[in-house]
Amino acid sequence: MTDILWVAGILSLIFPGMILWRLPEVRRLDLQARLAIALAGGIVIVTATLYLYNFIHLPWTRFTVGVPLILISVGAGTLARTGGLRARLPTNTILILLFVALTIYGVATARETCGDLIYFWGPKGQRFHYAGSIDTGFLGFRDYYLMHSDYPPLVPLLYAWGSLVAHRFSWWGPLLLMPILLLATAFAFRGLARNGWYAALLTAILGYGFAIGMVGGAADPVLLFFEVIAIAALTFDFEILAAVALAAVAMTKVEGAVFVAIAAFAYLITRRRIAKAILIPLPAAIVLGTWIAFAWRNHLIDSYGLARGSIHLHLLGSVLGDTFRQASYKIAYVPWLATLVPLAMHRNLRRAWLPLIVAAGTLLSTLFYYLHAASPTWWIEASAQRVLLTPLACLVVASASAGGPLHKSGGDR
Amino acid sequence: MGRGEKAIVTGATLILLLAFIGRLYTRGGPYFERPLTIVDHVAPDKHDTRDALVLLPKVRPLLPRGAHVTCFEPGERDTMPDFFAAVGQLPQQTVVSPDSELPQYVIAIRQPFTHTAYRVIAEFPEGRLYCRD
Repeated sequence: MTDILWVAGILSLIFPGMILWRLPEVRRLDLQARLAIALAGGIVIVTATLYLYNFIHLPWTRFTVGVPLILISVGAGTLARTGGLRARLPTNTILILLFVALTIYGVATARETCGDLIYFWGPKGQRFHYAGSIDTGFLGFRDYYLMHSDYPPLVPLLYAWGSLVAHRFSWWGPLLLMPILLLATAFAFRGLARNGWYAALLTAILGYGFAIGMVGGAADPVLLFFEVIAIAALTFDFEILAAVALAAVAMTKVEGAVFVAIAAFAYLITRRRIAKAILIPLPAAIVLGTWIAFAWRNHLIDSYGLARGSIHLHLLGSVLGDTFRQASYKIAYVPWLATLVPLAMHRNLRRAWLPLIVAAGTLLSTLFYYLHAASPTWWIEASAQRVLLTPLACLVVASASAGGPLHKSGGDR
Repeated sequence: MGRGEKAIVTGATLILLLAFIGRLYTRGGPYFERPLTIVDHVAPDKHDTRDALVLLPKVRPLLPRGAHVTCFEPGERDTMPDFFAAVGQLPQQTVVSPDSELPQYVIAIRQPFTHTAYRVIAEFPEGRLYCRD
């Protein structure tokens, strides 16, 4: 029962997240895409609420957190308007559902669990729930230094919300969240890109990548959910949605900050709108700034301090070789070929430049991170298949956009 | 979307579908039984934390709230997996590292803990709970 309540608590975030349906461009999307985007919005709203309460010392209770969520849901005022459901079930949707079903099987039979759920994502979410705040004593405890005290708090806050609803932490809940996020990522992307086939490919790459990279319960499915929405939104001109998603990206994992910077740079280069290139990543910069300041004030700086470390350029060859091997995903580079070959077939790459720059930038930043490790082989083996999903997802967006409609009203393909 | 492009995308998706099924299959059976822990089938071999994840919920009711406790496999060099599993499984206690000063309670995974200052207060197939006299 705890597991069901925990997951239901996360799913209920769709209601306050419907506030995003007030954006005209989101209102035009099909229902599945709007529901996916509402889930993203709800996650942002609840984690922002818990984060804010932490600073103003308001307790986290079902009442104090639930009432604002209900008020926002009522304010969203879009509950009755649920038109636009795709009644037919095209082949690409069946493929999406197959990957989601396999992922449900994978997590329900404990085949995709990430060790980091046991080692820190779960303990942090659980402890924040019991403490009713971001527990700096727990994060800063000397024996827990491997828990990455300054990792951004969105995922533990989300887990704390699920625990608040269920009255305790559920170890199966974060696992069951993964297929939900996979489906939401697919539907959000399909709606924004208006392309069901590339949404199926994205689901295939992420579903398989989640399984081989073992990310169940970790932050990666959440990160990729927001990254895909952010890049698709930027590529297809949903700027406000992109700003919201980028803020969530920055607060989900440390590498999210780099992603935001690269995305803003790519937007500036490809769209040449300086004001928007500053405004779109601004919420991410502000909220991340508050987190780093909070971590610094409480002596929690760990990962954000690694930027001061030295680079080991003599390891470049081995880093490239190890990363290249992991990038095959033990399936002969099919995920890369499936995105790059169709891209090469298109002549109009104008719209694809933005996701291509982000793909290249995130790939280079990953190599840059690895070059900061004195012995990076283990690190690459442990993480490359997970972190390379970000440039892969960007390449899917690029492929879909290269042959896609140039206007938001363009038809579905 | 052109026919060639759709063929590539569909073909790759189907290849990934087969690879996904293969990946789930090679993590070992049983395939349709409810697992006891969240790590039961992450690999054909037993996960580092599996015994701890089975043992800790049994030990939890025996520990006072706020008690200082540690968890490790005696004789094992890498004590981190069992220790961090305990941090998550014992949220009402303070779990300290086995590398620091030993606390009042020790949870020994699989192997017996032979420290003379401690006595066994509960025994399970996956390990034992000790308390300092």
